[in-house]
Amino acid sequence: MKRRNFLKNTALASTAWYIPNFLQNFALQQLHASRSGKILVVIQLSGGNDGLNTVVPYRNDLYYQNRPTLGIPANEVLKASDDLGFHPALAPFHSLYEEGYVSVFNSVGYPNPDRSHFRAMDIWQTASKSDEYLSTGWLGRYLDNQCKGCDSPHAALEMDESLSLALKGEQYSGFAINNMQQLQKTTQNVFHKHLGAQTASHETEQVAYLYKTMIETQQSADYLYEQSKVHNSKTTYPNSDFGKDLKQVAELITADTDTRIYYISTGGFDTHAMQKNTQQRLLKQYAEGIQAFVSDLKQHQLFNEVLILTFSEFGRRVKQNASGGTDHGTANNVFLINGNLKKAGFHNAAPNLKDLDNGDLKYEIDFRSVYATLLEDWLGSHSNSILNGKFKKVIL
Amino acid sequence: MTTIQQINHLSWRAGFGFHPSAWEKVQSRSLEDAVKYLFRGQKNTVTLLTNQTSTRQSAIHDSSEEDQNEARMLEKQSVMQQNAQWIARMADPSEDTFLERMTLFWHGHFACRITLGDLATAQLNTFRQHALGNFKDLVLAVAKDVAMIRYLNNQQNKKRSPNENFARELMELFTIGRENYSEQDIKEAARAFTGWSSNLEGKFVFRPYEHDYGSKTFMGKKGDFDGGDIIDIILAREETALFLVTKIYRYFVNETIDEMMVKTLAKQFYQSNYNIAQLMRTIFESDWFYAPKNIGTKIKSPVELIAGVMRTLEVEFSSPFPLIRIQKTLGQTLFDPPNVAGWKGGNAWIDNATLMIRLNLANGFIALSEKRNTKQEDQETQELMDEAQASKIARLGNVKLNFQPLLQTLENQDKDTIFETLSHFLLQPQLRWNKKTLSHTFQIPVMKTISRP
Repeated sequence: MKRRNFLKNTALASTAWYIPNFLQNFALQQLHASRSGKILVVIQLSGGNDGLNTVVPYRNDLYYQNRPTLGIPANEVLKASDDLGFHPALAPFHSLYEEGYVSVFNSVGYPNPDRSHFRAMDIWQTASKSDEYLSTGWLGRYLDNQCKGCDSPHAALEMDESLSLALKGEQYSGFAINNMQQLQKTTQNVFHKHLGAQTASHETEQVAYLYKTMIETQQSADYLYEQSKVHNSKTTYPNSDFGKDLKQVAELITADTDTRIYYISTGGFDTHAMQKNTQQRLLKQYAEGIQAFVSDLKQHQLFNEVLILTFSEFGRRVKQNASGGTDHGTANNVFLINGNLKKAGFHNAAPNLKDLDNGDLKYEIDFRSVYATLLEDWLGSHSNSILNGKFKKVIL
Repeated sequence: MTTIQQINHLSWRAGFGFHPSAWEKVQSRSLEDAVKYLFRGQKNTVTLLTNQTSTRQSAIHDSSEEDQNEARMLEKQSVMQQNAQWIARMADPSEDTFLERMTLFWHGHFACRITLGDLATAQLNTFRQHALGNFKDLVLAVAKDVAMIRYLNNQQNKKRSPNENFARELMELFTIGRENYSEQDIKEAARAFTGWSSNLEGKFVFRPYEHDYGSKTFMGKKGDFDGGDIIDIILAREETALFLVTKIYRYFVNETIDEMMVKTLAKQFYQSNYNIAQLMRTIFESDWFYAPKNIGTKIKSPVELIAGVMRTLEVEFSSPFPLIRIQKTLGQTLFDPPNVAGWKGGNAWIDNATLMIRLNLANGFIALSEKRNTKQEDQETQELMDEAQASKIARLGNVKLNFQPLLQTLENQDKDTIFETLSHFLLQPQLRWNKKTLSHTFQIPVMKTISRP
């Protein structure tokens, strides 16, 4: 057999080159209802952001005693209250704060905190107790709860090449997408479409899962690709993956995409050594990204419809280490950003640096209280079943 | 379950599948011989790798920032070369495939991000040397591995200011697992590893003046322990054998563990004083390893999948770049795990995006190699590629592949058997397809093509 013939005559190869364009935009629009309700954007700072150098207790001597070289001098802090202020790299974020668009929750955590990245991230993403192992995420369970009978696999979108546990549910999961165009092209293979159309028998759980994922992907890819072309943002975002992700989300939101949750993570915060420059660069990128994103939303009168949650899996130890860095800690600050907050500013007092647990902050607000608030007061869902318990809400 | 299906199962769990030309040969092989064949390398000493691309050693004393940046970039490229060469070894049927597979397992178990070429080579050699040896030797070698020391900050673990990172991961991820130690144990273990450091040349050094010689209380024992003692104490506990065997079972047998089976294996592993080869042989010689519930139930990791496709189609890359790119998009880049816990595996490999790339992986390799062929000889194919695709492909260097071995396994096949033969060779589970609709969908005269010489 000639190799050329084999290639030409099997769909296996030819679809890699030839991409039919038979699906029309208008036909797709009819398949998908436009968005209704509020949008949640989750920003995850991976690695454990040093909260004490993000929101700085600039009048606290203990802070400077514990951080002789890492502490941020009071005259450099961007003052936000009588005793708290922001890292100097957060200037654009500070402006949003002054306009009343930012809520800050101090000392957010949970009982018996875990200092392992892996485990702490799982706890935050699954909303589990410290000694409990869950295989579904809090947003995945929201999808399970909210989306019964709804088969849109892109109700929650993660701007990444793979999907976080936070977005994995029992029945429904979020959708990971890094490059709209690439994904749309790769779903056009007729052989795969054919496979998806067949019925199955005697399949293992893993194989069935693969088919299900394939079929859903085929359906959503076309839609999202079309949506991504509707608006082209003119705003300047930081030239980084984080900036690109934010821009993509802004474009999808302004195109009225029927996605309710967007998830973005950005890493590098695990600053065991030489923290100063690293954190400076990361916080600057964060603040500039958020500023651009908010300005995009405002231009389309959408800032009131979108709530941005920022969290990290843990804060860092109060005392700096000998490597110019900080080790894994516990409670940390959480930010909520929106155009129409009932209560902007600081929701509770600065962390107590006198009363520590083994050199780490004690938590004051359970992170699941924040989740409960978002689930009920923002996403209009129920929190008890999703969070496996009742948590006192905060003011949104 | 036919013998050939069992051998195929073994070839994917203990390696990266078959090269098409081996398919014919194994048809007459017994399962016993197939297992024996895996361990053939045990008699020889492991070949250690050398690194020709790392130039860091000569650049250490360069002072200018420009030189340092240049050196860093070259090291990054050296790691990429290591990566590409390793995958090529996994795909190469003439290599000791089982050794490569075990090395890959340890690479995931002792997750470590490496950006310096010579350190990547050194760590791979550590894994290769102990891959099928004694687990205690392996753990001790890893504790002295320079890339690991730097990744888990043991470089900064000093008497006056201990850094707990290595001590914590040693227990949580490498040996005994959570819930078998206290936070105090971590603090004490960290003290025992103080002064385990590395020098500029990238060699392990013990710095006595940074070591805490004081008495430590660790897991209920008291003494002036050093790192080696800590490892001994951890491995003296049976929980460590159970932890490791559970992980090996999940990786080589099934994500869903059979608790009785794992407990029995762990006991044997503990009694053998942590003999890894013996454990692996026991698994592959057991009937239950070939039970239907354990076949076709493991989702391949990206690296396993890539190596397997490369082996089947004899894929060769002229540049490591496309290989690294594919790994990144699929969620597993060698020498660059997502965090200290390594890659999660199982269903977590799969989401909508990675699944699509997996489905098109062979296509992608073919498309890349076609670029080379289409230049002059095939006008028709060239017309099918749009310009953007063509230019994207051009940046990725040359890719060669060889269809002939695969086509030979399809010789003299007819319409009814060709897809079945292919799917038996390439897959363990039954493919969802239906002959009638399949040929209808493609409207291609597959048979005519195949029967034509």
